[in-house]
Amino acid sequence: MYPLIVDDIHKSYGEHEVLKGVSLKAAKGDVISMIGSSGSGKSTFLRCINFLEHPNRGSIRINDEEIRLVSDRHGALVPDARQLQRVRTSLSMVFQHFNLWSHMTVLENVVEAPIHVLKLSRQEALERAERYLERVGLWKFRDSYPAHLSGGQQQRVAIARALAMEPSVLLFDEPTSALDPELVGEVLKVMKGLAEEGRTMVVVTHEMGFAREVSSHVIFLHQGRIEEEGPPAEVFGNTRSERLQQFLSGSLK
Amino acid sequence: MDFSVISNNLPAFLRGTWLTFHLVGISLFFGLALAVPLAVMRVSANPWYWRPVWLYTYVTRGTPMLVQLLVVYYGFAQFEWLQGQWQAGNPFWLLFREPYFCALLAFGLNTCAYTIEIIAGSMRAVPHGEIEAARAMGMDYFTLLRRIVLPSALRRAIPAYSNEVIFMLQGSAIASAVTLVDLTGAARNIYSRHFAPFEAFIFAGLIYLLLTFVIVGLFRLAEKRWLAHLKPRKAQPAH
Repeated sequence: MYPLIVDDIHKSYGEHEVLKGVSLKAAKGDVISMIGSSGSGKSTFLRCINFLEHPNRGSIRINDEEIRLVSDRHGALVPDARQLQRVRTSLSMVFQHFNLWSHMTVLENVVEAPIHVLKLSRQEALERAERYLERVGLWKFRDSYPAHLSGGQQQRVAIARALAMEPSVLLFDEPTSALDPELVGEVLKVMKGLAEEGRTMVVVTHEMGFAREVSSHVIFLHQGRIEEEGPPAEVFGNTRSERLQQFLSGSLK
Repeated sequence: MDFSVISNNLPAFLRGTWLTFHLVGISLFFGLALAVPLAVMRVSANPWYWRPVWLYTYVTRGTPMLVQLLVVYYGFAQFEWLQGQWQAGNPFWLLFREPYFCALLAFGLNTCAYTIEIIAGSMRAVPHGEIEAARAMGMDYFTLLRRIVLPSALRRAIPAYSNEVIFMLQGSAIASAVTLVDLTGAARNIYSRHFAPFEAFIFAGLIYLLLTFVIVGLFRLAEKRWLAHLKPRKAQPAH
């Protein structure tokens, strides 16, 4: 069974076609890294998976459940409200700019969605929060507000918040791009740990080291198409496409 | 200075202060309670929701509160229909003959309009990413409003709202225009009885100042309680 199958996603903004048919299949425990230069459509693709952007064409299956899409009045494809909520609770997203709720403490951030979306009891939500905040090493900061933490700590809280939903797939949208270089490591370490636990992850990233060492599958996007994909050893060690060669030599500088 | 004018009339000053206090307090309460749902409509993308609210706040903020008070108290009475209701003894419409009710209505509607714009501005300033994160976690529209947007917006509206409260306190001095003996009205009565304008008005001014001082203090406590997340970083627990 595949937790996530995305097939032939197309997305346009007006005349400009950002995604020209991108597909992806994640088996349980897969860690898929999506790389590519800015403007290649990798973030848009990730955001189409949980419908923060509405694809114009394509299909998505989550845990073998086909997401029925209907056209809204703008011609975009949207799932019905109940299914949308199911999609979103089984795919948790970690954002580039953390997007923690600034008026809530760390602990409140983590228990919020389990209580108010999953309708867990406060007790269950607190147990989850303790487990996952311990997991990212921030339980002792549970009463701090996000603004009083460093960027790396905020992103680890955001990861704990995503984990507390106990989703089938974790989506990471450039999780280290907004961080100071010395804070990148602590976040990558947490993500590496999650990969080793066998969690299914789709990661849009500029960290080639992470893509190479941690992921099970690498997808290189170029101008809205998959230019090359495969296991990291092959993609990095035996690069076929010229564009990926250019991209890699640029990003290694 | 003749302090006996003040001490002899202390009960009148206190009655006026009490009237000012509950007139302002009750209109602020209803103004705020009504402003929250109307602010939600004000920031809606649907013109059927935001246009009427926009019109209401535009007209209310575009005219003086004294004019609004005079329209409610004197203006409405001109309509024969309303006079007919009075003759019929309709208890609701009889309220429009009560100066206290008219002042409450005018003040409440006035502060409501300003408060709507304060809250709506604050709602628009909620970081987009925080809303997106809530959506991505499967929150529906009402949960998003109730748990994320309004708590965040109402907290950040506290400093601006404290100005509105102080403004309403000072602005309530016009209540005496519709025969109410509020603090200013009491001072004016005492002045005309004793020809001691300085004593009467300075003492009234001091009471307004004292009330303002209390309001500022209460809002400082509220900010400490609800805006801690925006304060600069304090000492952190050790690693």
